[in-house]
Amino acid sequence: MNKIFAVVRREFIERVRTKAFLLATLGLPLLMVFAMVVPALMMKGTDRTTRIAVIDGTNDSTGVQIVAALSKPTFKDGIRPKFAIEHVVMAGDVTAKRDSLLLRTSREVAEPLDGVMVLPENTLAAGKVAYFGTNVSSFETMGELEGLISSVVVGTRLERAGVDAGVVTAAMRPADMKTTKVADGKPTGESGAASFLLAYVMGFLLYISVVLFGQQTMMSVIEEKTSRIMEILASSLRPFQMLLGKVIGVGAVGLLQMSIWVGTVFVVGQNRTVLAGILKVPVETMQALPIPSIPSDLLLVFLTYFALGFLLFGAVFAAVGSMVNSTQEAQQAISGVIMVIMVGFFGVFAVIKDPSGSLGTALSLIPFTAPFVMPVRWSMSSVPLPQLALSLAIMVGALLAVVWVAGRIYRTGILMYGKKPTLREVFRWVRAG
Amino acid sequence: MSLRLCVSSLFPLKLPSPQSSKFPRPLTLGNAVAAAAVRFEKVTKRFSGHVAVKDLSFEVPTGGIFGLLGPNGAGKSTSIRMMMDIIEPDEGSISLFGSDRKGRDLSARIGFLPEERGLYKKMKVLDHLVFFGEVKGIARGEAKRRAAKWLDRLGIADWAQKKVEDLSKGMQQKVQFAGSLLHDPELVVLDEPFSGLDPVNSQVMKDVVIDLAKSGVTVLFSTHIMEQAERMCDHIVIIARGEKVVDGSLQEIKAGFGGRHIALGFTHDREKAERVLADRRLVASIDDYGATADLQMAEGADPEGLLHALVREGVGLSRFEIVEPSLQAIFIAKVGNAAVAARTGEAA
Repeated sequence: MNKIFAVVRREFIERVRTKAFLLATLGLPLLMVFAMVVPALMMKGTDRTTRIAVIDGTNDSTGVQIVAALSKPTFKDGIRPKFAIEHVVMAGDVTAKRDSLLLRTSREVAEPLDGVMVLPENTLAAGKVAYFGTNVSSFETMGELEGLISSVVVGTRLERAGVDAGVVTAAMRPADMKTTKVADGKPTGESGAASFLLAYVMGFLLYISVVLFGQQTMMSVIEEKTSRIMEILASSLRPFQMLLGKVIGVGAVGLLQMSIWVGTVFVVGQNRTVLAGILKVPVETMQALPIPSIPSDLLLVFLTYFALGFLLFGAVFAAVGSMVNSTQEAQQAISGVIMVIMVGFFGVFAVIKDPSGSLGTALSLIPFTAPFVMPVRWSMSSVPLPQLALSLAIMVGALLAVVWVAGRIYRTGILMYGKKPTLREVFRWVRAG
Repeated sequence: MSLRLCVSSLFPLKLPSPQSSKFPRPLTLGNAVAAAAVRFEKVTKRFSGHVAVKDLSFEVPTGGIFGLLGPNGAGKSTSIRMMMDIIEPDEGSISLFGSDRKGRDLSARIGFLPEERGLYKKMKVLDHLVFFGEVKGIARGEAKRRAAKWLDRLGIADWAQKKVEDLSKGMQQKVQFAGSLLHDPELVVLDEPFSGLDPVNSQVMKDVVIDLAKSGVTVLFSTHIMEQAERMCDHIVIIARGEKVVDGSLQEIKAGFGGRHIALGFTHDREKAERVLADRRLVASIDDYGATADLQMAEGADPEGLLHALVREGVGLSRFEIVEPSLQAIFIAKVGNAAVAARTGEAA
């Protein structure tokens, strides 16, 4: 037992001490915070008034109304306008005028234009306007401009058709749907977007970390094999002790890293208001960000499945590592294992679509896909407790079986040098002794 | 060395009893004989088609230094690996300390230095040694204390906090050596312990091995360097092509080899000796080093006749000495024979 602990400690300490671990562990939460804060700051930062010249070729009042509509929207402070409009009335061929105005979009002139809008004579009838600008890739601005013009065009058409102006305004008010996640028959106060993001991020983290740490386990076995430390280990430790120590050691590193990552999200999610204060970002902007708030029961389910899943795949990766002689050989040999993991990862999407469907249920009971699927199911819908218990029981049973088989492969594999064994030979190793 | 041999040439060769040793042996109670530290019984190991070890039986007595000798590829490392329970013999049995438990279960009592040294390159030296101690079942604090002591003794204490990969090859070997001794084993198995070491480090290691043996530890080491074995070992087994060709105490082996051996040293007129040395009535075989030569007298020839013949030819001699056969000579004769026998066996 103490010997296993020695192996666990060695694997753990040596890994945690590396720069790579420090970088990844601290880097990712920093990146997450960065990815969250930057858009928030950007939203705050884009309150520059967009300057547009409108070449008005309409011979009715449509052009005037459009210019009026464009001048109306203001930023959050309610004072500064979003758009500054320069109204140019001109009939006929506007190409020359347009081109001369476009020259003013150059940054070298004082107060440069962002763009030029051309309203043709039949704007009202055809509803086709053109915009030439430096900011056309800003979907938000373009969408807003289009929306404003549309409402003027549609409103004017309805008025011309004899509809009362008040009715038009009332009729054109759009619907707004707010989504709220329900669990256990109660609304959770979580938006749909946050819930999806949480499920997706969890699935992704599990996938990445199982593959990453699984491969680390494998590489460490290969290192011991090629550096021949194996001989010393094999003369002091039982192969089962070596395997278990290694998998638990690397797994503990993974669990620590995962706890730090998920913990960061947890803490950030719980303290948005404080964070908003620190970053001097409006609270509502912070609240609007889809940072999932992780309920503690989900945290527990997630970490449990991560630990079990990691041990399961870790043992498989270690066994594969014991069978091969070099990293190159290993890359081929693990493709099968990676495939199984991929199935689990893609299962997550099936579950996101239909958390309580039969596919989701089946995948959350199969031990090789359950670690990915179950936490996601748990986050998306309420999983019956007996089902969770069944899934956990199957998981533990499978874990023991896999570790047993892996131990047998490991025992023979670690001291085999040279040729890669065939599947038949591996089968014989498992049966032998 | 020459002094020791001179003495033996002046006095009639007295063979000590095979039980005697330069090193103390553990006390035994009453008539009970101490169990052999290692006992191979008709051990055979095959690797995909070729036989690495064939029907090998020998015993390593408890206490003293035991040499497992043989040319490259003779099966030394395979034998040691089987001893350590890293691989299993196909046939036969190996017992350690007279126990029926396997090498791995007894690993707390055995120190092992594998032929292909392996260390975790990224680990710090001290941590590494502590880990080696822990997998042998020593408590962490104690392992730390002992590791520091060994590093100090091997003169690499300054490197304790350095990474293994920053050490020279010789230093790494010392670390590995310390690692195999950390748990105070009663049997130390060293596979080619001196290979790749410079003379100074080699000396340090040799001193440690001798001290271990003096303190009652059984040391088994394999080597293909005969001089080293000859100077250090009490008991020797030579294997070639997986089979045992020589087994016994150094004295027994030398006595059993037979013949009279002369060591010659030349000062001038070396070429004038050619005719005498080529005379098969005087000289049975010669191992010629140019300025010196070791030769075995022909049956019935006497050394005085040879000396007379050389002086008559006018050969300048710095040394003419009746010596024990060197282990090197025995090795070449025996292993050469085995090789020849095996080759003729294949041809038949």
